[in-house]
Amino acid sequence: MDEQLDFGIHMLIPLFTTENGDVFGFTTTHVNTWIIMAILTIFGFYVKKKVEAFTIVPETKFQVAIETIVSMFESFTISTMGEKNKGFAHFYGPMFLFILFANLSGLILLRPPTADIATTFALSLTTFFMVQLYGIKSKGLGYYKELFQPIPLLFPLNVVGELANPISLSFRLFGNILGGTIIMGLYYAMIPWIGLLGIPSILHMYFDVFAGTLQTLIFVMLSMTFVSSAME
Amino acid sequence: MNILEIMFGWMATVDPKALVLGASAIGAGLAMIAGIGPGIGQGFAAGKAAEAMGKNPEHGGKPATLVMLLGAAVAETSGIFSLVIAIIMLFANPLVGRDGAAIILAASAIGAGFAMIAGIGPGIGQGYAAGKAAEAVGKRPKLQSAIVRTMLLGQAVAQTTGIYALIIALLLLFVELF
Repeated sequence: MDEQLDFGIHMLIPLFTTENGDVFGFTTTHVNTWIIMAILTIFGFYVKKKVEAFTIVPETKFQVAIETIVSMFESFTISTMGEKNKGFAHFYGPMFLFILFANLSGLILLRPPTADIATTFALSLTTFFMVQLYGIKSKGLGYYKELFQPIPLLFPLNVVGELANPISLSFRLFGNILGGTIIMGLYYAMIPWIGLLGIPSILHMYFDVFAGTLQTLIFVMLSMTFVSSAME
Repeated sequence: MNILEIMFGWMATVDPKALVLGASAIGAGLAMIAGIGPGIGQGFAAGKAAEAMGKNPEHGGKPATLVMLLGAAVAETSGIFSLVIAIIMLFANPLVGRDGAAIILAASAIGAGFAMIAGIGPGIGQGYAAGKAAEAVGKRPKLQSAIVRTMLLGQAVAQTTGIYALIIALLLLFVELF
């Protein structure tokens, strides 16, 4: 049974081996990320081609759909970060779409790239450096004075708290998606064929669609909150 | 002290694989204790939603039920984390067959299970948040989206300690620390 049980990361194209015996190369995470990137890029070019034919009053359903998505991201950004930070929608919109597609890719039998700690940690490090950058940009080096509040004695605790943010942010997404992947892998490996009729779709509904969408929303919302609170 | 020495002496004579497997069974059981948290929390949320339904059945009942279901599903997270750790230990145990002192591997399995008990806290806390949100939505259904947003944000932060527990459990299981 252990041979069938499969939820790990595989080395698809090994490139070279180090002295310690570690193999470096392209894993399922890389390949699946490229697939998602390709889908999003093609979609982007398609919209760009169509956008020239857009009218002031929408005529096609496609234009209505695109405008709904864009205004949804804008109102979401405004309600979380405030009116003056509306421009962040251009960053968080694509990020939302990428994480959402990554989480949902389990539906088409890809291993979700977000079930790899490398992907989620990269995303949360982006947030971490954005927090530092925008904190310094809006307050100067005085931003780091907050680390000595309310009393200087708490400085080490504040530093640990600041460094814990990207870790908890990345592991929240990673843990949820990995949990779904493991449970689905176990279900497919263990249940006889009669259990594979219909029931997996319910499990996919919960672990991929519901948990995937919710964790995407939470990741983007927390990232927005961290950045905007550093700027206030 | 004598009892401990006798116990460790006895453990050294047992087949290492059997010792690790036995400890994994205990660890898997311990991990599932975390289910207490989501149970209490979701029960509280359900109670608050029922209360909201009773007070304002025409306008507030349905939104309150929706918010309760959403919040309870988020509160389930720590239970799912525990389930994942228990399943890994039962079916895909990385400790079995690893080189090293059997007593350390066995202790790692029990420790990973123990760590997951922390899930009680986030489970209760998130369920409480879900219940209060359901109550608020029952009173003011028009503010539903703002209330849900605040609830999700708070629940995500409340999950943090549970995630730290998950990190430690995964480290104990998959990384050769000692």
